[in-house]
Amino acid sequence: MKQITIQTTEEDHKIAKLTAFAIGLHLVESAFPSPLPGVKPGIANIVTLYVLYRYGIKTAAWVSLLRVFASSLLLGQFLTPSFLLSLSGACLSLIILSFANKLPQKYFSAISLSILAALAHIAGQLIIVRLWLIPHASMAYFIPIFALAALFFGCVNGLITSRLLHKE
Amino acid sequence: MRYFFACICCINLLSCSLKEPLYHNQSYVFGTLVDISTYGETDAEGQNITATILREFQNLNNRLHAWKPSELNGINHQIAQGNSARTAPDIADMLKQSTQYSVQSGGLFNPAIGELIQTWGFQNDEFHALSVDAKKIAALVKTNPQMTDLVIKNNHITSKNRYVQLDLGGYAKGYALDVGMNMLKKQGVKNALINIGGNVIALGKHGEHPWRVGIQHPRKPNAIAALNLESGWAIGTSGDYQRYFMLDGKRYCHIIDPRTGMPAQGTQSVTVLIPPQANAGVLSDVASKPIFISEPNKKQDAIKRMNVKDVMIIQENGDILITPSMLKRIEWLEPDAKKHIQVLQSFS
Amino acid sequence: MLKNTFKSFNHFPKPLLGDWIIIVVSLLLIIWLFNSLWVHEDAAKLRIRLGNQVYGEYSLKQNKALTIQGKMGTTLIEIQQGKVRFKQSPCNNQYCVHQGWLHHAGQAAICLPNQISLELIGEKKQFDTLNY
Repeated sequence: MKQITIQTTEEDHKIAKLTAFAIGLHLVESAFPSPLPGVKPGIANIVTLYVLYRYGIKTAAWVSLLRVFASSLLLGQFLTPSFLLSLSGACLSLIILSFANKLPQKYFSAISLSILAALAHIAGQLIIVRLWLIPHASMAYFIPIFALAALFFGCVNGLITSRLLHKE
Repeated sequence: MRYFFACICCINLLSCSLKEPLYHNQSYVFGTLVDISTYGETDAEGQNITATILREFQNLNNRLHAWKPSELNGINHQIAQGNSARTAPDIADMLKQSTQYSVQSGGLFNPAIGELIQTWGFQNDEFHALSVDAKKIAALVKTNPQMTDLVIKNNHITSKNRYVQLDLGGYAKGYALDVGMNMLKKQGVKNALINIGGNVIALGKHGEHPWRVGIQHPRKPNAIAALNLESGWAIGTSGDYQRYFMLDGKRYCHIIDPRTGMPAQGTQSVTVLIPPQANAGVLSDVASKPIFISEPNKKQDAIKRMNVKDVMIIQENGDILITPSMLKRIEWLEPDAKKHIQVLQSFS
Repeated sequence: MLKNTFKSFNHFPKPLLGDWIIIVVSLLLIIWLFNSLWVHEDAAKLRIRLGNQVYGEYSLKQNKALTIQGKMGTTLIEIQQGKVRFKQSPCNNQYCVHQGWLHHAGQAAICLPNQISLELIGEKKQFDTLNY
């Protein structure tokens, strides 16, 4: 019997730890019922934001995407519509964050990034619903509600993130 | 959960403030549907103002009723007996103005032929097909009742012709539009739309856009076209499709040619647009009638006589005669209509 | 330790100028979205889609129960004088059923698992009043 050892770096351990934490938050959140599908606090994003500030966009992308894949596997949603929604939201969110990351930190704190990420997240999900899951479906009525929820939870998550960063 | 409630509260606040400030009030007056809309007033103000106007319309209707006991009906009785009748100043003014329009129309607009209209049965709310004695009609035409037979002095009316029977059916709705318009302005209303049995006058706008009015297709249950009615403008249509009966495959409409005593034939509808002026409402009601009654080759003369610029005539065969300025303003909703357009170039 | 964590959360950092700008701009965007997407007219018609096809259009001015065979099973839809709802659905999450009655034009309910969507359509008024 041959033992396989994978060389892991310090970086890998860091990502693994933080991802585990994000997955935890994701699972906790999915245990609570949502009043409207799509409206969620998205507390796992706090981890993504935290990682972005501490270790940069690349690590944040790893943590965010691993979290989406692992959580969906754990919840038995892998490759289901829920997974696709999560993935597209996370992807668009990361793209926006990679740009927002360049904003001057003197004026824009984690709150800004969190709001932008939340809005991008919901936009990514709506795009998937519109283009893929149910083409032509009229989402018009929900879009403002989603956007309002995104702004609100974006603010809250941003405040928490910025507090966490501040503490250290 | 707290987040969620906060969101719901925000949504409710937002949605409340977004309700369009449009108020509608409807009532049956003048034997037809009256519809008043206001824009930019609160529901309470809108309700208050439109109810006041509707009451005034009802009052006018009670005074001007041609065949039920009313002030106008009283005048008719006195005229028939050869007496002089005393009348209110506003009714005297209405009669003077109708006389003026009757002369202008060459007698085609003639509110003195009440007896003819009654003979045809169009005064009744529920009318039915009837064959009219041609001799009786001929005799009535021969009595030649004209508005010019009236002598109006110091609110006293006498008639040189006992057969004059006043019926302001082609005038009162337009007059009421002007009355309603003045009341709205006095109350400080900025935006409103009054529709009395199809005759419409506009004040201000519907929010950022002008008020939009559809024009009924004379033979189909939908609008043939629509146009923007800017502030102060009025629109009126005379059609053979609202009050009519069919007898032996022939259509008898409520618009009587005073020269023959017979319902006018050959035209489905005439629509006129009247620019802002003190009696825009009256003109929107009156001006279409002479054009409707005129023979096909005399319609253009009638348009000139009545001094209107924006006219659309739909003839019996479906042809649409339209003046260039009217054509510019209209947007066709009936796709087929465009094929039948004939532009009246002499009015360009 | 938990106590300390809570204590430290007593003082949140204040949002910066840029944060406020983003918050205000997002709010304006959301108000604009509400304004343009929420139509406050009562709906006249119901459009049902199954998969990516229109299954049918129905008047809302009636009482009617519809059964539709979707990907997962039979969905029961109920129309009741101006409103409509998912009455029964074979899906697991039952989001569609929980959404309850839809009234206004522009409202929609979607059952992702069974791929059925309801959409309320208003009678787009072409004019304010009719001249006749």
